[in-house]
Amino acid sequence: MRVGKELLELALHCGARSLCVVGTGKNVGKTVAMRAAYEAACEQGLQVGLASAGLDGEAADQLGGHAKPRIELRAGTCFATARDVLPRSPASEILAISRLQTAAGALVYARAAERAHCELIGPPTASGLREVLEELTARAEIAIADGAIDRVAALAGGRDAIVVACGAAAATTMRQAVDDVSALVQRLGIARFDPDEPAVFIEGALTPLQTARFIGTGERGQIVVRDPTQVALRGRAAAKAFEALRIRCERPLRVIAVTIAAISPERSFEPDAFARAVAAATRLPAFDVYAGKRAA
Amino acid sequence: MKRLGLLDPASAQAVGFEWLTAALAPVSAYGERHASGLRPFSASEASLARSRAERIAAVAAGVDEARSDAARALVRELPDVAGAIARASMGEILDDVNFLELLRFCDVLVRMDGLLSGVYADPLAGQEVLDLARALAPGRSAGGGFYLTGALSGELERARERLDKAQRELDESSAQAAQQVARALGRDDVGDADEFIVMRAQLRGALPAGVRVVREAPTYLLCALEYDEATLVALERRDAAAQEAAAAEEGVRARLSSLVREHAAGLEGAARELGALDVTLAAARFTRRFACVPATISEEPVLSFARARFLPLAVELEQAGRAFTPLDLELDGVAVLTGPNMGGKSVCLQTCGFIALCAAFGLPVPAERATVGLFDEIAWLGIGSDRELGGLLSSFAKEVLRLREIFERAAPRLLVLIDEFGRTTTPLEGKALSVALIERLRERDARGMLATHIGGVASQAGARHFAVRGLRGIPERPPTSDLREALETLAGSMDYTIAEVGADTGGRADAIALTALLGMDRSFVDAAYQALSR
Repeated sequence: MRVGKELLELALHCGARSLCVVGTGKNVGKTVAMRAAYEAACEQGLQVGLASAGLDGEAADQLGGHAKPRIELRAGTCFATARDVLPRSPASEILAISRLQTAAGALVYARAAERAHCELIGPPTASGLREVLEELTARAEIAIADGAIDRVAALAGGRDAIVVACGAAAATTMRQAVDDVSALVQRLGIARFDPDEPAVFIEGALTPLQTARFIGTGERGQIVVRDPTQVALRGRAAAKAFEALRIRCERPLRVIAVTIAAISPERSFEPDAFARAVAAATRLPAFDVYAGKRAA
Repeated sequence: MKRLGLLDPASAQAVGFEWLTAALAPVSAYGERHASGLRPFSASEASLARSRAERIAAVAAGVDEARSDAARALVRELPDVAGAIARASMGEILDDVNFLELLRFCDVLVRMDGLLSGVYADPLAGQEVLDLARALAPGRSAGGGFYLTGALSGELERARERLDKAQRELDESSAQAAQQVARALGRDDVGDADEFIVMRAQLRGALPAGVRVVREAPTYLLCALEYDEATLVALERRDAAAQEAAAAEEGVRARLSSLVREHAAGLEGAARELGALDVTLAAARFTRRFACVPATISEEPVLSFARARFLPLAVELEQAGRAFTPLDLELDGVAVLTGPNMGGKSVCLQTCGFIALCAAFGLPVPAERATVGLFDEIAWLGIGSDRELGGLLSSFAKEVLRLREIFERAAPRLLVLIDEFGRTTTPLEGKALSVALIERLRERDARGMLATHIGGVASQAGARHFAVRGLRGIPERPPTSDLREALETLAGSMDYTIAEVGADTGGRADAIALTALLGMDRSFVDAAYQALSR
């Protein structure tokens, strides 16, 4: 199975103009998933834009130092990256210089003229990511981005699809990995509020303290945050809150699938069992990008 | 803009220097550089100040709002090429982002020349700019970007052809190897990722050739593709071709960078001119927006104007739906200004300072006409000028210290604007100090205006006496205690214009009327009137 093709089709099927891969932690296969979707888009002859919400495409992990999967740009791909990491060779067509700044200089939009490995460094803010995706979708048929969770707020309410990547690198047990991805999917997948029903609107983030108060007072109405990233709850607190309260949002995100990476340098899980558990917990299509499989 | 010795910080704040700087802000880094170098003209530079103001007024008249906005929009979006020119001058080889910046710089200069034709005699895009634009033109891409195309170098084109061929051979060879593995494993995703999992349960026999095991687990193998001999040879050829193409690209960059180095002086000059133009367009916009006119710059330290406005307040009033009352004044020595509270004495002083400030920077002034000398210092003394001094000093002490500093600076051409000097001491001594101050200013041939509530200063000092005309009548207190309404009532009753008056008159007790208007209770106001009549 071509996992990238499946992910792309899911995104295109729901009318998304961009596909953003977020992860439960580091080294959970975000880049592998992004690359698979990118390759599939290129093979379908789509004009693709590539970006990262942070740092991507570097040869080695910044913390662990071990080799990371790299993205090889195909000729014709538009991409956004920091000026200081733009390779001199092979030369790319420089399309525009953004006013957005990154740690490695101004953000530059370019088009690969030849195949090239390139480190993708993105804007440091959610609004910056929105701007980059808009610029890329203006120049390409679909934009694919590696996105940090705290920056996907910019995608709320837009024509973007989100894929959540999880893996053995971010949890000590399979159970924990499944719980983590399940909580994240539940959080990102908060539904739009119903304007005809009673609601309490939250300014800013929904905190554990506020949540405890709502549970304590037996709140029955909708608890409405601006977008799913405004729910500042993790682990058991999140699970309890979603069980006891009707948490909704004004601008929902669209989570379309989960990818799993059962392997990591530190540990590995049994791939089929992991994929099945993730699919069951998230009720989303779950793909193993390394095994080329969808959970049965 | 640099204040230099023209204004100390307190005086700058009082006469609206920061406001003026913001109103004249250019839109580009080029303009900011130019503006940061602007300084007030000295008394010996009257003709330069005059010609700058006339130039700005001519641009304001010759470039309409639409053309001005279009020109400013072009400059606003332009990246700063100063760094690229400097690096090329030092022998560095520039990168492709630099070339896009330089190409856009050349484009904007040419477009500005078209937009502003007839306004500027000398084109911004001189020969050096046109030469560079020609050299970079083959790199211009359809979407307005820049790419090192083969049109820039035949050698580069040939190197790229060789690279394309080598890449195709590598792709074919590696795809063939991947397909063989995929067929052997019975799956279609081999090669999608650097590594892939093969489940032991699905593996019949050994792994096919060309597959390397990265890690073994009880139920699966983590594998990676291995290049075969033919693919390794193709890879070597591709890498060699890529190196050749990279060298050819760097050769083109070196040639273009060398051209930038050779033309650096002309390009830097054009950048400076662009900065000056940005600043001029901002000043022209200011001139149009506020109906400013070039002042007649006098060799003498004089200040006279008709229908002048203190723009920071005028804009604030405009936003509140009210209008500034323009002022007329002729000041050739040191004069005294009196008038009721809230009648605009301080604003009159600020207007004097603002008009002198604009003239000092060679700007058209917000007046119907004006004649202004260039002062070496515009000093504000009194209310609002004592904030920067130590908190342990009394208001009176701070004021005296500021006065001493002003005299110690000994600016040859001094304009002093004095807002109620000596107001915090007894009226008798306040008057004596004010008279002494006027006499000292006169000895130093300074120009100034002293606003005061103390009667008899002008006659005792033998100074000209101006007065705010004041309340046309005592306005009726509005039925509500709404402050805004009270201020509007006051504004409707107050004549803010100033006129020269012959003698010191006692004047009406406008302060008590204003107290009533501002909401103090009737019995308090009556008590005040009774006390006044005793």
